[in-house]
Amino acid sequence: MLELTFFNVTNGLIIGAFYALMAIGLSLILNLSGVINFAHGGFLVIGGYLAFTLRPYIGFWGALLVAPFLTAIIGFVVERLLIRRLYGRDPLYSLLLTFGLAFIIEDGTRQIWGANGLPFSVPEALMSPLSTQFFFITGYRMFMVAMVAIVVGVLFVLLRYTRIGVRIRAGTLDLETVAALGVNVRALRSLNFAVGIFLAGLAGVLAAGQIGLEPTMGDSLLMPSFIAIIVGGVGSLTGTLLGGLLIGVASGLTAVVFPSASEAIIYVMMAIVLLVRPRGLLGEEGMMS
Amino acid sequence: MKPELQKQTKQWVRAAGVAAIWAALISAPFWMPLFGGYTALGTRVLVLGLAAMSVNFLLGFTGVLSFGHAAWFGLGAYGAGFVLKWAVLSTPVAVIAGTLLGGIAGALLGALLVRRRGVYFAMVTIAFGQVFYYIAFQWSSVTGGDDGLRGFERQPLDFGAFSLDLLHNDVYFFYFALFCFAVAVTLMALILRSPFGRTMIAIRENERRARFLGIPIEFHIWAAFSLSCFFMALAGALYALLNNFADPRVFHYSLSGDFVIMAVMGGMRTFWGPLLGAIVFVVLQDYISSVTVNWMSFIGILIVLIVLFFPRGILGLIEQRRAA
Amino acid sequence: MSTLEVKNVTKRFGSLVAVRDVSMTVAKGELRAVIGPNGAGKTTFFNLVSGFFAPTAGSILFEGRDVAAFTPQERVGLGMARTFQITEIFPELTVFENVRIATEVAAGYRLRPWLSRADTAEVRHRVEETLALAALSSKANRLVGELAHGDQRAAEIAMALALKPRLLLLDEPTAGMGDQETYEITQLVRRLHKDGNLTIVLIEHDMRVVFHLADRITVLDQGSFLAEGTPQEIATNEAVQTAYLGKAA
Repeated sequence: MLELTFFNVTNGLIIGAFYALMAIGLSLILNLSGVINFAHGGFLVIGGYLAFTLRPYIGFWGALLVAPFLTAIIGFVVERLLIRRLYGRDPLYSLLLTFGLAFIIEDGTRQIWGANGLPFSVPEALMSPLSTQFFFITGYRMFMVAMVAIVVGVLFVLLRYTRIGVRIRAGTLDLETVAALGVNVRALRSLNFAVGIFLAGLAGVLAAGQIGLEPTMGDSLLMPSFIAIIVGGVGSLTGTLLGGLLIGVASGLTAVVFPSASEAIIYVMMAIVLLVRPRGLLGEEGMMS
Repeated sequence: MKPELQKQTKQWVRAAGVAAIWAALISAPFWMPLFGGYTALGTRVLVLGLAAMSVNFLLGFTGVLSFGHAAWFGLGAYGAGFVLKWAVLSTPVAVIAGTLLGGIAGALLGALLVRRRGVYFAMVTIAFGQVFYYIAFQWSSVTGGDDGLRGFERQPLDFGAFSLDLLHNDVYFFYFALFCFAVAVTLMALILRSPFGRTMIAIRENERRARFLGIPIEFHIWAAFSLSCFFMALAGALYALLNNFADPRVFHYSLSGDFVIMAVMGGMRTFWGPLLGAIVFVVLQDYISSVTVNWMSFIGILIVLIVLFFPRGILGLIEQRRAA
Repeated sequence: MSTLEVKNVTKRFGSLVAVRDVSMTVAKGELRAVIGPNGAGKTTFFNLVSGFFAPTAGSILFEGRDVAAFTPQERVGLGMARTFQITEIFPELTVFENVRIATEVAAGYRLRPWLSRADTAEVRHRVEETLALAALSSKANRLVGELAHGDQRAAEIAMALALKPRLLLLDEPTAGMGDQETYEITQLVRRLHKDGNLTIVLIEHDMRVVFHLADRITVLDQGSFLAEGTPQEIATNEAVQTAYLGKAA
């Protein structure tokens, strides 16, 4: 029983790390620009498929490095050309725009790479399990968690200690003042968006290694990302990280006792948070309007 | 033209426009085939148009960004289906049951949701919609899961002396749906013209000013939200009857998105805009998906274009031209 | 019983003290002006009184009753109305429609799904009365968003009036106006004060307006109370002169 619990909790943490990666990207964009990026799952898909296409030329590690950057560039272009025009307007329009983009990306992916699933193989070295006792913790899963930990860690350091990072953080709190201080807010938003998309692209490559590629794979990660943000607290990246991990672990724990409800638990958690502490675990008051 | 005369002319044009719309709706089964349409398509337009107008009631007139409104649509659909499948073989009862289920659920959950605003409200409403999607998907013993709720069909309307076969006669069902549509739409119009309706518009125009006029914002938003859920659920119930079928997709946020698109496309701040948007959307969808597999890209591109270049929608543009 | 009594009110935002231990009593029917250099905490003071946020310390009594527990909308119901520094109106509605909403709320109709013919006529009558008071009758059917700045401000005041308040809070009503518009608003406020028997508290920067209208003046500086008295007393008060002359604003 204990082993089963351990298995599921670890599994939960791994999934949670994944949710967190997606949710943090989404949260970055939401906090600074007030845009709910419905196309976030789509960028995940692009990341995965780009890695697939690049792999024969630059190998797994090359693809892992390059694909997220390429995806980020695509995201940057999208932001500059399309999303930027909508910042002054009712938030409805940017919401609709990303919604439309999600459609375009999904169908586009289907057009270019076909509707069927594609395999994405991972280097032998990563595939072997950690030990015979912990056979389920394959090297790849550890690798994924390690990647997420590194990237999120780097992100947090960048946000805390670099000038741009500080500006982004300040911008989330009070964009007007930041602009008044002479910071180029438009460029900041574009960069911030690109960073968020980078995370999505990376998630795509990692996911591809785990579950292969499919045009609709982004969808199933979008909702947990939303919930991670709601649970963890609007406006707080640490909260989002925490939220992602929490719902992942909760999902894992539930799988021990009640396997079919492991997906439902994250919705239950959202409902509880909304009832008991609407601003989320680490959310700040007044971030809601 | 003198202001008074101008105002009166405007009112006449408006009344004529509304009369034309009703005339077109009432006679639809007769002129639609001339354009390659068929009655069931007209019913579909009515139902989706009602849904779009319900979203607009909240979005266009109160300024509240609810992007998960399909939740109430779905509850209306499943509610009607459940009643017909397990309770009473009566079309009116099914419709009322579905409407009540979605409306009451919306009113209850709405109390939780209205504490937030703007994009955060949108996020929470989307997530809630997905909860229902998930339940409909998983609880297959009750809901039929991914295959959907089947085994029910619309029942004839029994008026004692005669009965109308709604199931086999598309035209009869169209008029039944039109009747429900008319009731809902008339109620909507009355509400929007009432003092309460004006507070909704006030909240949209300037929430702070509305608050400082003494309007309790959260309560009014909740009331508007709840009303829109009832209308939405009615549309859902009719939808289930139209198809004799309901599946989890009626809860999915992409359907919510479709309704919002219809409202924006037709003209978000206008009353009849969403119906127009629904017509365009349904016709396009029908046509495009028969021509190409890539209708998703097409809709996506259309959405992007509308948002960037035609945010006021068709009727919105027309009204702007006339005012200028 | 005074209309407004503010007792030792302080407002802190983190480590920033916007209003520090300010007290003020405004008698019924008085027109009080609140002045002070920029950053004196005047608007924060209004926000406290109208319920925008709660004081960190101190109490606010409206007609003898502590209003701490009342939300802004509830305070309107108690008899307070305010205008804002940046005019808050419903831009895409006509002047008539703007005032109508205020009138209907004041009449208790805000939840009514339907209005009888008689009631509709009554509301119309009241709106027209209010518009006449604010000298906006000729502009009733214009969109407020399209009006000149001065007229927009008058419309906002009309909306506040429609609420039949006993205390009217005006935040810099002549801000950004030229001489003619300033004159018209000043006349409007004076009329309201004399004819409407209203208690009015006014934040103003334009000293001509202040000295023309005020019964008494309270001076704030850097969030603290500096002086209070008749216009005559304030005009000759040294501390006040230093506060104004000593600041670049």
